[in-house]
Amino acid sequence: MTPQNLLENLSTIQKCSTGCPILDRCLGGGIPCNSVTEVVAESGSGKTQICLQLALHAQLPVSSGGLAASSLYLYTEFPFPFRRLHQLSVAFRSSNCRSDENPCDDIFVQSVHSAGELLDIMSKTESFIENSRTRLPVRVIVIDSIAALFRSEFDNTPVELKRRSSLFFKISAKLKALAKRFNLAVLVTNQVVDLVVPDEGINGLRIGNLGCLYSSGRRVCPALGLAWANCVNSRLFLSRYEEVVHEENGKSYEETGGVMKQMRQLHVVFAPHLPGSSCEFVIKKEGVFGVER
Amino acid sequence: MKGFEVDLTRLRGGIFHFRRQKEDLRLGGIESEGDEKMDVWRLPISASLRGKLISAGYTSVTSLSSVSSANLAQDLNISNSEALNVLKVASHSGGSECLNENPSIINGAQNAWDLLHEEESLTHITTSCADLDGILGGGIHCKEVTEIGGVPGIGKTQLGIQLAVNVQIPHEFGGLGGKAIYIDTEGSFMVERALQIADACIEDMSEYNRFLRKDCQPCQMKMEPKDILEKIFYFRICSYTEQIALINYLDKFIAEHKDVKVVVVDSVTFHFRQDFEDMALRTRVLSEMALKLMKLAKKFSLAVVLLNQVTMKHAEGSFQLTLALGDSWSHSCTNRVILYWKGDERHAYIDKSPSLRSASAPYSVTTRGIRNSASSHKRIKMM
Repeated sequence: MTPQNLLENLSTIQKCSTGCPILDRCLGGGIPCNSVTEVVAESGSGKTQICLQLALHAQLPVSSGGLAASSLYLYTEFPFPFRRLHQLSVAFRSSNCRSDENPCDDIFVQSVHSAGELLDIMSKTESFIENSRTRLPVRVIVIDSIAALFRSEFDNTPVELKRRSSLFFKISAKLKALAKRFNLAVLVTNQVVDLVVPDEGINGLRIGNLGCLYSSGRRVCPALGLAWANCVNSRLFLSRYEEVVHEENGKSYEETGGVMKQMRQLHVVFAPHLPGSSCEFVIKKEGVFGVER
Repeated sequence: MKGFEVDLTRLRGGIFHFRRQKEDLRLGGIESEGDEKMDVWRLPISASLRGKLISAGYTSVTSLSSVSSANLAQDLNISNSEALNVLKVASHSGGSECLNENPSIINGAQNAWDLLHEEESLTHITTSCADLDGILGGGIHCKEVTEIGGVPGIGKTQLGIQLAVNVQIPHEFGGLGGKAIYIDTEGSFMVERALQIADACIEDMSEYNRFLRKDCQPCQMKMEPKDILEKIFYFRICSYTEQIALINYLDKFIAEHKDVKVVVVDSVTFHFRQDFEDMALRTRVLSEMALKLMKLAKKFSLAVVLLNQVTMKHAEGSFQLTLALGDSWSHSCTNRVILYWKGDERHAYIDKSPSLRSASAPYSVTTRGIRNSASSHKRIKMM
């Protein structure tokens, strides 16, 4: 066993662009390779949008912030959003002048129904990446979402919970081993659960920079508990809330009567390389974009 | 333990005479091995001179090597010829290190006095947070195994990286000038972050340099952040078998790299929470590993820092937060520090230690690394 040369690592450290320079800046350059990043949010917050956008932008050459790579997209929430991917790919092609090939060709999609199946697929993934004759090497794995695999299968008994957390660590170790071996960027999404009695039990426990997580005016916390929180390297949280806009299109508050506008924010909950920060973003037809304040 | 120390200090007066006689007989010989920090007291000079030296801050023989006799005479308020004599003795004893071995009946046996002396001269690695150093008795202790645990995002990895950087602070700045081994089991070590912390550390040192050595000849800062990264031996581990194999191999590795002064395992837990059906086996494997690490710490007088995760323990109908790996593991470490949130502030708490009082102190994680918490800044300024 010999130690790795950190200086060498420094020059090869790579991040994959999320497709928006403002979001990338908030994330210190994008989603890091050789690391597991988790995006936590309630449904309809833009988790899947970010995943799809990452899978597309990974195909860009390194000079444009991508990894010149294809991606493996494991989905557990049905159906896979093919139409949205197509919509995004059209915008992606026009904005990046890539008319020659269809970016959807370089996203490998696989459905997963259970935690056991996910473990199986990850073993196969290893040989798939190693022996693949894909046009671009696989450098991104997306799991959307991890929570869906665990939310029905396990009972709320100590034995079952122990089996569940053992599986978390197994999955995480495999993901990290894959990420290290092939220098992959791994993005995992997770759902949230509502906090019924705040500050009590496991869910009231503070994890990360934010004292408490709010989305749509409710206090929430990431699903899968403390054990899973130990399994990821970085955790991002997407929140949304409604705000009364006083002026829109030049009309004053009196004229519009106050329009409720959907606001979205991305927060860094914890990450070994990032300070706690947040960034506002919007979801458009062309994709997810950060907004500068 | 506290009472034990008090007794020893009381004893010390009696033993001291005996010591001095022995020294006088040897004339210039140095007691016990090693060049510990407080080695001025071993110089064969009068006790009053020795006292003056120590109170003027010349605690080690090496600190005398670069000072002129005129300066020394001024600092100690003694005549020039006396100062010259002190320097002569110091340089002489510096050259004749390890002249004689510790005369003990059983090889390696030490008496309580030696142990006490050893403990006093124990070296520390600063955490860069004065409050944290305060409750830890100067920093993370060498020759001991310290376990640090906390929830995700509390700053365990940050503290690990900070220690791997701080161990390299040169002797002139009160550091150990050593190297670090970083065993990464989770993949959370980010080189860009280590570089950031190293940068800040060097900046702080040059600041300190300017501040303290205004009148003396300025000591050149030659360190580069890249040099610091080069002196961190980084191992990325992907399974528990690899982890055990590496820890078995460390003995050989450190024997070849004697200047390693800290071993950080981030985290010790991760691979042991996956697939262990047989919990008894896990306990055995873990305690064997802990024993090996403890031996390493003693043998090479280095600090071992084990980072641990937290888990929920179901006890008496309620859930409690506790460090992972179970009750028997909690015996494996000399010191145990728990990191937790208190409101919006990060705190560290000494949960277990044979020599330190249980206490807690705030700290914060900044872009420059681990630092004092913002709330305690006021107090520091007043001092």
